[in-house]
Amino acid sequence: MRIKGGALVVGALAVALTATGCNATTNEGGSGDSGEAKTQSGSISYEAADNTGPAKAVDGATKGGVITVMQVSDFEHLDPARNYVNVQQLTGNLIYRSLAGYVEDGSGKMLLVGDLATNPGTDVNKDCKVWEFKLRDGLKYEDGSAVSSKDVAWGIARSFAPELNEGPHYIQQWLYPGGGYNATYKGPYEGGAMPAGIDTPDDKTIKFTFAEPHCDMPYAAALPTSAPVPQAKDTKGQYDLKPFSSGPYKVKSYTRDNALELERNPNWDANTDPIRTAYPDGYKFTFGLEQQQIAERLVADAPADQASLTWGDTPPAVLPRTTAANVANRVAKGPTQYVWYLGVNNLRIKDKKIREALYYGLDRDAALKAIGGTSAGTPASTLMSPTTAGFEAFDVYNAPPTGDVNKVKEILGGTTPPPLVLAHSNTALRTAQAEAIRASLVKAGFQVTLKAIESTSYYDQVGRKNNPYDLYLHGWGSDWPTGSTIIPPLYDGREIADEGNNNLAYFNDDSINTEIDKIRAMPAAEQDAAWTALDKKLMTDFLPEIPAYYDATHELYGSKVGNAYLSDAFGALQLNKIFVKQ
Amino acid sequence: MVRFLTRRVLVGVVTLIAISIIVFGLFFAVPSSPAKVMCGKNCDAASIAQVETRLGLREPIVTQYTKFMKGIFVGRTYADGTAFERRCDAPCLGYSFRNDEAVTTILSRTVPVTISIVIGAAILWLLIGVSLGMVSALRRGTLFDKLAIGISLTGASMQVFFFGLILLFLLVYTTGLLPFPSYTPFTENPAKWAQGLILPWVTLGFLNSAIYARLSRAQMLETLSEDFVRTARAKGLPLRRVYTKHALRAAITPIVTIAGLDIGASLGGTFITETIFGLRGLGKETVEAVGFLNLPIVVATVLLAAVFIVVANLIVDVLYAVIDPRVRLS
Amino acid sequence: MTAPTSAPQSPATTDTGPYLKVNDLRVQFPTEDGIVKAVDGVSFSVERGQTLGIVGESGSGKSVTSLTIMGLHNTKRARISGEILVGGRNVVGMSEEQTRRLRGRDMSMIFQDPLSALHPYFKVGAQIAEAYKVHHPNASKSECRRRAVDMLGRVGIPQPARRADQYPHEFSGGMRQRAMIAMALVNDPDLLIADEPTTALDVTVQAQILDLLEDLQREFNSAIIMITHDLGVVAQVADDVLVMYGGRAVEFGSVEQVMRRPQHPYTWGLLASVPSLHGDADADLVPIKGNPPSLINLPSGCAFHPRCRYAGRNGDRSFTEVPELHQVQERGHLVACHLSEADRQKFYAEDIAPSAGVAQ
Repeated sequence: MRIKGGALVVGALAVALTATGCNATTNEGGSGDSGEAKTQSGSISYEAADNTGPAKAVDGATKGGVITVMQVSDFEHLDPARNYVNVQQLTGNLIYRSLAGYVEDGSGKMLLVGDLATNPGTDVNKDCKVWEFKLRDGLKYEDGSAVSSKDVAWGIARSFAPELNEGPHYIQQWLYPGGGYNATYKGPYEGGAMPAGIDTPDDKTIKFTFAEPHCDMPYAAALPTSAPVPQAKDTKGQYDLKPFSSGPYKVKSYTRDNALELERNPNWDANTDPIRTAYPDGYKFTFGLEQQQIAERLVADAPADQASLTWGDTPPAVLPRTTAANVANRVAKGPTQYVWYLGVNNLRIKDKKIREALYYGLDRDAALKAIGGTSAGTPASTLMSPTTAGFEAFDVYNAPPTGDVNKVKEILGGTTPPPLVLAHSNTALRTAQAEAIRASLVKAGFQVTLKAIESTSYYDQVGRKNNPYDLYLHGWGSDWPTGSTIIPPLYDGREIADEGNNNLAYFNDDSINTEIDKIRAMPAAEQDAAWTALDKKLMTDFLPEIPAYYDATHELYGSKVGNAYLSDAFGALQLNKIFVKQ
Repeated sequence: MVRFLTRRVLVGVVTLIAISIIVFGLFFAVPSSPAKVMCGKNCDAASIAQVETRLGLREPIVTQYTKFMKGIFVGRTYADGTAFERRCDAPCLGYSFRNDEAVTTILSRTVPVTISIVIGAAILWLLIGVSLGMVSALRRGTLFDKLAIGISLTGASMQVFFFGLILLFLLVYTTGLLPFPSYTPFTENPAKWAQGLILPWVTLGFLNSAIYARLSRAQMLETLSEDFVRTARAKGLPLRRVYTKHALRAAITPIVTIAGLDIGASLGGTFITETIFGLRGLGKETVEAVGFLNLPIVVATVLLAAVFIVVANLIVDVLYAVIDPRVRLS
Repeated sequence: MTAPTSAPQSPATTDTGPYLKVNDLRVQFPTEDGIVKAVDGVSFSVERGQTLGIVGESGSGKSVTSLTIMGLHNTKRARISGEILVGGRNVVGMSEEQTRRLRGRDMSMIFQDPLSALHPYFKVGAQIAEAYKVHHPNASKSECRRRAVDMLGRVGIPQPARRADQYPHEFSGGMRQRAMIAMALVNDPDLLIADEPTTALDVTVQAQILDLLEDLQREFNSAIIMITHDLGVVAQVADDVLVMYGGRAVEFGSVEQVMRRPQHPYTWGLLASVPSLHGDADADLVPIKGNPPSLINLPSGCAFHPRCRYAGRNGDRSFTEVPELHQVQERGHLVACHLSEADRQKFYAEDIAPSAGVAQ
């Protein structure tokens, strides 16, 4: 998915991220470039042991205390129908449970298991078209009433409402393929009809029937849209403020833009939950501090802040102070599922030689230094992120991180490359980065003009098919960790429209399009290796655009925070098993 | 007096209407649509259209403006005739584009923060600044005067973010003498309220008191050379009385004017102070709202800031008439 | 009224001698550009019931002299030497607190512009009452007010009780000056210094104010110093006249002597620049050429020499030697000029008298 414009406006807003993980095939992958990267391994597990509560205890963990999460901005939405941003999902996970979820322990071994459901979804006919979920026994809401599969159906139905359209729409689109996801069905509020393709034969069962095969359904079921919302508790637009709890915590108080406090939901039964340990007695989310202040406070580790953490990246100004031993052991750092590309407009730069020259001309170190150095990312040589299932670190062109001017000259062979326009969002960070990139390309012999675009309309502008720019920086992260949410949206040429494009390379090749269709029809278990192979083919034969760097995160936490690790699924500190050291 | 007030209030209302029109106009001149900021991650054309419809942005600007103004005076109904219909009673400033919260609620939360910061700081800067300036004027040329001038020159040339960060570093991060600033309503716990705001008060208060010290010193020196001060001395009044009654009264008048306008303008938002100390007041709210193209909040906060300035002007004029009998309100 | 004398009377005999005696008063202000010799060795005295007019251009030292008598100069910044005996007490060297007790009670002052001299924010009555209260700490508030209203009535302000509650800006110029006088006289001072009291007023009002001062002087029997550049005023109210130039006294005598038989060319100049009601209406007024001298850098010799058409008549004495005040034939008339008395009388009679103003 695209990093949204609004995030760029405020700078430090939570980067929009979602699931990372791996597929049923237990593939291994690793990033040669990122020293921090864990070996990515994970799977969709149907093993009873993995799918049964309670969650595996953490050594030395104690119950009690309150974890404080310090954030720059308030959440936009906690309503499960509107919850799409990674930190909102991490928070939502404490309050409500989806059909499926990720069991994580920070070791890189992540399992997609059933959360409300007893398993991550049964492919009834083995054709990925009919998926059935059976709810666990003993699931209760905060008022003690039982969770029904009909509430899950209501939750999904309401996510079709145009008024609640901010969440992910995979299941919705699969139920209503062709055209907009809610072009036909607009939610249950007008007339009360439920969406076609969802059946709830009894209170424990929910069945989805799709026209096309969707082997990714277990991943889609882990998104918040499948959280149960009882119709009687549906406060529509106000549901954001107080989602009805089916998880270990419920909303105690929520003052917008100031603080959200969660307290225990006494009706949550640990034995029904294989994912959450719920050690703290509560959580407090505070909003309104600048990221620099948050980082300063966490570095200082004053007694009042020792049980605090942040999901924001440590700003460059504070980074030097995080290397002291007593701070370094309170840093969580690692790659996210985002890759940043130097997008090349293939409609304007048709010659692969020029793109190759650009690949060598780009000084990736300089581009990173402009935004904070290695804590901000590591040089990239693949189109897919190291967090993707089946990821394989390869480097077709073997360019040094600082670029190779001689190689550029060799490729160009004395010809003069066309003058290039590099567009960038006008935020301070992106402007600095664009200048660094321009400098490196100019050094390599290109003629580059910068074009700053208002940050909120940046992706609109470069997303227009006939845009007048040759180069532009853009980032992309998957909604779940398979190539299926990376390669097709970015490089399927049939998706190119007049505007609103994700395929910013405007790359269109029939052989690639055919290959995409072929991989999509494969069983989930075989897809990962195929996407990696396609990544390699794209890089070798076409080089549609220039991978610049893999995004990384660098988050601080206080000395009393126990079991703090980056979520493999969300690329930020995971709260499900965290505890307060006593 | 009644005529004066009536006229000023009318002028104020016209000013505010003009400002609201300008804000609306400027807002829609921005090439981006708030829907693109608010649509979350689903920024395809269909989603944007849905969000724009929901926010009422698809209607003609004049209609949007009329509805907004109507909301202020008689209230309005949103999403009329749908399941999401809701009534917003007058004075209705609409709902935040970003999180759907009523703007009046947002204001009722942020305004007290700014007022607390400004009032506390103003008391400090007036007390410290004015007395420092007065004393230095009376002891012109002495070591005290030179020190005071030096300090106030340093203070006046210092920036809030610099001084504030130094205080944070010294008193909060390094020594932990003070907790990180936070806002507790005065009505809830006055001690905590004061404790949480002491740093912004000191920061803003110190820097402004530097300016006020210089101003008061100059004013006092000017007043001391006035004939009526000489008259007061010729009457045989003790110096203390000459200074505190005759000179101070006259010297303070322009300071009251400037302080009134300063406070009025500050109430519109002390963005930098609020940002440095992580206090969500009107300033921070406004700047963030501009970043998010959050029209209802932008319009409301700009209007409110204008109201503060208009009212401050009015109060200053009335005060002026109270202090200086030569001034007539007409 | 006596002529300046070098033999100051002892404080014990104050009641019989002149109320104010100034002996060899020097006032200097050190500045970055040099020392301003504002008053340079001036002596005079005033008795109760008498009026001394001090005339001179601005910068002649007349206002500084009066402020020095009142003790209104900052002693830190002004160097004051000599002697100022007010009722026998030497004001020079007195502490601020001691002079303060004299100010407003034993000696008081009326300033040129009553609008700026009155505090704009306080009611007229209150300002007068305050002047009374400060020297009558035991007086009640209502007593002070009664006294203030009473004084306003005595200086000829109609409806004094109502006017007492008005602010200075609500008074006309003449009324303001009357209020100012009321304030100055509220404590029955023995010495009243009036610094250009009529300059800022209409001509018709000027006369009223001067009459008022005369009436009040008779009533209170106070000594008055009338500082002015207007010889007409002097002629009307003064008993004696002191002419100052460049910080020094250049001529002293009774009104009769100085006005009728002036002997200093500077005084002639002053007289020549005043229109005469009785003389030839077509006769040109003769302004004194040139500008008043800088008090930091006074011309050598007679400070008036650059402007004096007779300066060369004594060899170079006018340029090198500072003339002292000397008595002329007539008793009590003193002049500081190098010209011989005979020359002075001749020049006055030939050059000046035909066209001069007031004294005709």
